[in-house]
Amino acid sequence: MININQVIKEMDLEGDPSNHRVVVAMSGGVDSSVTAALLVEAGYNVVGLTMQLYDYGKAIQKKGACCAGSDIYDARLVCSKLGIPHYVLNYESIFQNQVMNDFADSYLRGETPIPCVRCNQTVKFTDMFDRAKNLGASAMATGHYIRRKTKKGHPSLYTGVDLSKDQSYFLFATTKKQLDFVRFPLGSLTKNETRSVAKRHNLIVANKPDSQDICFVPEGKYAEVVRKLRPGSVEAGNIIDVNGNILGRHNGIIDFTIGQRKGIGIGGRKGVDDNKSILYVVGLDTKKNNVIVGPKEFLSCNKIKISDCNWLIDLQQDSEFRVLVKLRNSSQPVIGTIKVNFDNTLAYLLFDQPQFGVSTGQAAVFYNINEISHILGGGWITEAPNKLAETNL
Amino acid sequence: MKKQIYLDYNATVPLLKVVKNSLIDIMDIGPLNASSIHYYGRKGKYIIDIARENISELINTKQNNIIFTGSATEAINMLFRNFDTIVVSSIEHLAVLSSSKSDHIIPVNQDGVVDLNILELYLKTLIKRNKKILVSVMWVNNETGVIQPIKDVVEIAKKYGCLVHCDAAQALGKIKINLEEIELDFLTLSGHKIGAPTGIGALVYNNDVNLTPLILGGGQEQGMRAGTENILGITGFGEAARFVNNLTENNCSKVKFLRDYFQKVIKNLSPETIIFGEKANRVSNTLLMAHPNISGDLALMKLDLESFSVSSGSACSSGKIAKSHVVSAMGFDELELNSVRFSFPPNDAILNSENLITTKELDRLALYWANL
Repeated sequence: MININQVIKEMDLEGDPSNHRVVVAMSGGVDSSVTAALLVEAGYNVVGLTMQLYDYGKAIQKKGACCAGSDIYDARLVCSKLGIPHYVLNYESIFQNQVMNDFADSYLRGETPIPCVRCNQTVKFTDMFDRAKNLGASAMATGHYIRRKTKKGHPSLYTGVDLSKDQSYFLFATTKKQLDFVRFPLGSLTKNETRSVAKRHNLIVANKPDSQDICFVPEGKYAEVVRKLRPGSVEAGNIIDVNGNILGRHNGIIDFTIGQRKGIGIGGRKGVDDNKSILYVVGLDTKKNNVIVGPKEFLSCNKIKISDCNWLIDLQQDSEFRVLVKLRNSSQPVIGTIKVNFDNTLAYLLFDQPQFGVSTGQAAVFYNINEISHILGGGWITEAPNKLAETNL
Repeated sequence: MKKQIYLDYNATVPLLKVVKNSLIDIMDIGPLNASSIHYYGRKGKYIIDIARENISELINTKQNNIIFTGSATEAINMLFRNFDTIVVSSIEHLAVLSSSKSDHIIPVNQDGVVDLNILELYLKTLIKRNKKILVSVMWVNNETGVIQPIKDVVEIAKKYGCLVHCDAAQALGKIKINLEEIELDFLTLSGHKIGAPTGIGALVYNNDVNLTPLILGGGQEQGMRAGTENILGITGFGEAARFVNNLTENNCSKVKFLRDYFQKVIKNLSPETIIFGEKANRVSNTLLMAHPNISGDLALMKLDLESFSVSSGSACSSGKIAKSHVVSAMGFDELELNSVRFSFPPNDAILNSENLITTKELDRLALYWANL
């Protein structure tokens, strides 16, 4: 059973809830709907905002993706049910400029981008924040599974209690300043508890499936989206091995990700069908437009360079310390030593054990080695040299 | 809860008390399917005929047919499917712009008035290639309230043998529509703009023109609009028409006073605010304005949270606010996302039947606007 007093305590807003307007960023999914429901229950003056991010007519609709056309209607229905105002923000052009274009360009650079972080960083936590402040809100709440705790007057970020739903990897770029204003009422809930609140309020989204994909990428076919966004910039090229031998052709390096094993399209090679000879994508050469494949050992990576770091703790200059780091949302954190440059924006991370399939464009998110739930900060992986770097390719 | 101040009468006029009473009356009569041959059918048919008569009196026409539809939008769609070449103005309602799919768009000037010279030049050229042309210009623009020179439009169109449609949804109840004076071939109307329920519109058309209906079926409405008649909607429309029929020259003076008062206070408190169509001939109840630094959707949300109901640009059913094609057609591209519309009751009769809006409330609203 959810304790409403706990929700109010974690909201960390002084005085009676009814004195505070709280804007809830509503996607039309169960999480943000329950966020709104809990805050209404707690007595806050709640306003729902939903972002219209792209033209649904143009993108092929898909169930299970966040913010599909029908989701706006779901958000509105939930707000009507809860008796709170709901508004739609037309962010189509901002989203196109700041998220979709960046997504396409990142793939063209041979990277594997995370547009959801860009969206949180730009549209959601800047434009929507501003709107919430303009509407006189004391705070903006989202339905993310992550906790915000205040210690000695400073808010810090902690992983969600439900680790299977933890969204800290996508929120590492939340700045300290943003953290003053944002709240995550679901951070202490499990997904099951969330669904039970939705059922208790009889919300139509109670059984709605979780979103799986990037919202503007139908059925996970990201390469189609890139080709649509950047027509003419995707070219066919060669698939080569680590010795430079041509093994086949590809239709564009955007179709490949570092570490990819399946669907490379060079099957049926003679005498190389034992496990040790399984080929992985180990490099994407954007200059020569080559996809480089090789055995798993070539994916081995000992250190990475991380740019545009965001820190949620106070750092000493030129500090070097041990951290836990997550390199993908779905993977377990690994241990390494981080060295941060003088202005804290760049960092180098040396892994204790070599990592396989690290891709530039992804995020590296740091956790406290003594308290794994405590998020220290993170940044974008801009260099991840693997064994291929030692060859001349 | 704070008192709601409603200034969005161009969107919908609240159901009039007299209309509500007329609806309750006919609800008690019994089953009213106007197509039935028996007593109740005749009763239903009679009620519909009375409503038709009330509307024809309001727009002063004897020769024209009036067909009831589900909305003005439906009436426009039905009409337009009969024409391949439709010339429209750039400030038409989306019901016209979307359903006409027209590339023949006549611009307006900075005051929001359709450019008659360009219309004439356009028709002169177009008539050489097309035989059957429909010209469609609205009587009153829904966003700015600017009255279009319909008489001149008809004159020019007739000169080139074109037929003319006028979307009069925003003119009805605000200015006198006299079809004896202005020979329009087609006129479309909307009930809820004068205090009838939503879901009822009408197409007024000249008997000499052959039209193909949009909805086929049981042959209701002289075969032009199948489906059992919406007797409550029709009754309400007829009753609302009767209510506003005693429209005279001066019957918008109170409304005009309030609008002009509000406009004056806004100009004093917020000199940077731009008022659209101010120099043009406007209906008395409408005020479209923009603050150059405040987006229309933000203004709308803040006003709504303060219990002021107004509207902005054109909102789609999702609630997403799109840019105003009207503001941009008037040459204010930089303000197309900033405009906010304040619309007062369409006339004094409706104003009097509502909770009167006070100048004190308008002062408060203007002050709030100036400090958005």
